[in-house]
Parts: sequence; C-alpha cells; structure tokens
Amino acid sequence: MIEVVEPGALTSVQTPGGRPGWRHLGIGVGGAADPWSARLANRLVGNRDDDALLEVTVTGPTLRFGAPSAVAVTGSRFGASLDGVPIPRGAGRPVRAGSVLRMGRGSGARAYVAVAGGIEVPTVLGSRATNLRSGFGGHAGRALRAGDRLEIGRPGGSLYRWAAEWPGGAVRVVPALDGAGLSELLEDEWTVSGQADRTGVRLDGPRIRLQPPEVVSMGLPLGAIQIPPDGRPIVMLGERPVTGGYPVPACVIRADIGHMAQLRPGGRVRFTEVTREVALESWAEIERRLEALEEVASPDPTDEGRWAGALE
Amino acid sequence: MIRSFGESALLVEVGSAGSAQLLAAALRSDPPAALVEAVPGLGSVLVELDPMHPAASELAAVLEERINGLGTELPAGRRHEIPVVYEGPDLDEVARLTGRSVDEVVALHTSAELRVLFCGFAPGFAYLGDLPDELRVERLATPRTSTPAGSVAIAGSMSGVYPSDLPGGWRVIGHTDVAMFDPQTDPPTLLVPGDVVRFTRA
Repeated sequence: MIEVVEPGALTSVQTPGGRPGWRHLGIGVGGAADPWSARLANRLVGNRDDDALLEVTVTGPTLRFGAPSAVAVTGSRFGASLDGVPIPRGAGRPVRAGSVLRMGRGSGARAYVAVAGGIEVPTVLGSRATNLRSGFGGHAGRALRAGDRLEIGRPGGSLYRWAAEWPGGAVRVVPALDGAGLSELLEDEWTVSGQADRTGVRLDGPRIRLQPPEVVSMGLPLGAIQIPPDGRPIVMLGERPVTGGYPVPACVIRADIGHMAQLRPGGRVRFTEVTREVALESWAEIERRLEALEEVASPDPTDEGRWAGALE
Repeated sequence: MIRSFGESALLVEVGSAGSAQLLAAALRSDPPAALVEAVPGLGSVLVELDPMHPAASELAAVLEERINGLGTELPAGRRHEIPVVYEGPDLDEVARLTGRSVDEVVALHTSAELRVLFCGFAPGFAYLGDLPDELRVERLATPRTSTPAGSVAIAGSMSGVYPSDLPGGWRVIGHTDVAMFDPQTDPPTLLVPGDVVRFTRA
C-alpha cells in the first residue's frame, strides 16, 4: 500500500497504452502523455508494459510506502529522493516499509513513478488509466489527493537500469493528408503556450491561416497537429478528443511524442520533416533501447517482497 | 481516397457518415491483418495500423477491396426517445436567428428523426443528424468554457447531448436527465453509430 502524503500539482494513475478500442463510441485512448517514459518506468521495476503507474505533472507528490517494494522514476527531473537521499532516474530501486518518496518541481512537464507489481485499481473498459476529462478509471476517476491509499499488485520481476537517452532537439514530423500549412509549420520556432495539458499542446508563433479553416470531422491519430481557425497549432496528445474538424498538415512521429509531452509552457520547439521510413526506424530504435536494460537486482526467493542485488 | 495520416494511420475518405459507419463496422467485425483500430468520422474512417506488422504494406489495398465490397444498406439501429425540457439559455436566440417562435423551434427539434452519424468529442457524445434546414444555426462565436451535463444543443445540421460538463460552442436549447455515458454498462454509451433518436417534450 502507498499513502499519498502530498498529491503534487496533478498526479494520476495511468497506463502507457491507455484505453484503446472504444474510439468508435467517442471514448478516447488517453493513458500516459509520455508513453515511452511510462513504459521504461514499468520495465525498470519488472512490470508488464501496461501495468498502472503514476503520472506526475509540474510538481511531484510525496508518497509513503506501507510495505517493502521497489520504485522507478523516469521522465523529466523532479528531484526525487527516498528518505532524503536523492535517487537516480533510470533505475529500479528497492524501498523499505515506511520509506517516503518525495518529488519537487520538474525540469520538464512530467515524470512517471512505477512501483513493482503495478498500482491496483479496478479495470474500467479494459484499462486502469484515469480519464481525467470524463472522470472515470484509475483511482476514483480523478487526480490523487492527500490521504488517498493505493494498493500495489504482486511484484514479479527483477530490477533494471537504463543507460540510453530519449531523442532531443527538433521534434520530427511526417506530412499528413494534403499537407496544407506544412511549410509554415516547419519555417518558424514555436513557443509552448499556457494551454498545454494531457489533451494537447497549443503553440504560439506566427498564425497559420488555412482555407477552408474547417474540414469534415475525422478521427485524429496521436501526434496530429491541428490548425484551428485562430492559426495557433495544437499537437494532439493521448487524451485528445476522438475526432477533430480542423486541417492537419503533419503528425509528430511516435518516437518524439514523449519529447513533445515533456515541453512546459514557455518552452521552445522547432519541427523538422522526416520520411515515414525514418519515422518507423526511429520508433524501432526506441523499442530496441527499451530492450537494452541491465539487470541490477533479482527477487530474493527467501524473502518475498525483497530484492537481492547491488543497489542497497 | 486513402491518404497517409502519420506513420501508423490512414484516413479512408468515403464521403458520407453512413459509408464511414458501414466500413468501420465491417473492419471491426472482420479485422484485416495489421489493423489496430477503425474510427468512423463524418465522412471518413481513421484506420490505425501496426506498421511493424508484415502485412502493413498491403493494408491500403485490402481497404480498397473492402470499400468496393461495401453495401449501402445501413443496419437498423436501436431507437431512442429522449425527453427534453426546452428551457436552454440559447433557445430565444435560436428562435430569433431562425425567424421562428420558441414553440416552432421546439416543434422542429422534436419532429426530426435523427441518426447517430458518429461519436466523438467526449465519451457519450453522439453527433445526430440531419436537423431540418429551418433549424440550422451557426455555433456560438465564443464557445462556453463549460456546458452542463445533459445540455441538449444544436449547431449546423446536427444536434447532440452533452454527456458531462464540457466546454462547447453549440447552442443549448434544453436539457435532459437521460444519462449518455456510464462506463459500467455495456455498451458504455447510450447511443452508438446508426442508432435513431427522437427528442420529445418532457
């Protein structure tokens, strides 16, 4: 069991893959805004890819562990410490009963906290992810509050360390549909506006005016860059609406969705065009990096809930 | 027409909501290899695919075949009556814009047999059409930051019911107590594509 001592600005139970399969009924996919960091966090504590974990936004929570466990923190730097001792990102770490994980303000928008065994919340429509817009799934369909208690599943695997990095620099896009507006999108540097959340990231910069300003409503893939009539692009993230009615000149490639989701208001971003082949190769490269983990501790067969290894 | 929509999706443009529904339903009941999800829009189907799947490069051709083999007969959807209290904040303005009395607006809204064209925007929000020509109004110039759950609204040729408190630019003419979305039921939404809706005066 984990007790939420302080919830942080916006901490919710999510899964890396969200809730696929219901979009024909208007129910979006959602899930972790930075699915790569979320998957990594799960792998570092030996979880399955789609186990539930915590998504932390802007300022982190303080969590007290009621039983021995293991934890991994990934994503942006939030100054995570365990009983006052800073813990490195990118490694699974054993936790003693009574230990307190404290996180501060993030260097980027989001971090992920995975606990060995995963967060146990009811499965709703096939997923444990919280749909914050509509208030269901996850823990009581809402962000965490002080005093919440989270049950933890049975830990299954070893703990791991990860030495690689995510792609940085410009965010890569592939042209979409008829590509109207693409050259304007690529030309300038954009500033992340205050309207950046799990739904999407709205950008400030020169206005892109397209004719016609609206199109027939269509399903939106992850990373679609919508140009609404006010001319300010919106990059659609996991909790985007199922459909949209504005032109989409390009889509952020899957490999760079995490990079996009980590940008904070005021952050700058440039887009660069790549081919579909490059997009797929970059995706495959990230999958390979996620496989290249180094085992640092294995479950102790003589003491359930403990790990035998080099970390402590 | 089939167009590339990101590295792992295709937008299949079929021209009408009915064809989009038929194609999406056919793809769901008999999914071709490499298909991940088929999402109907107003005139298209978003087809998400697994680009690493060996059959991914053949999916576009398979979709072309499916479109050619598509019938035109929409399956009979379930029928719903949704009682509405016509006291919405935009009702008088809609009457003014359409040059009708409030009673005439209500009569027009309750006279139409509307079909669920597609679902989107939020869980439980169904786009219903087509409204009678006489009832067509543009969206609000400035959308509301919150439209209460149960609001019955119109915009252009379509009507819809807000399933929860949501931002929105449609003109609200009434409200209903009927629940549009419950994740614990199967299906989780009251309305699914193809269903037929008639609004009644509560």
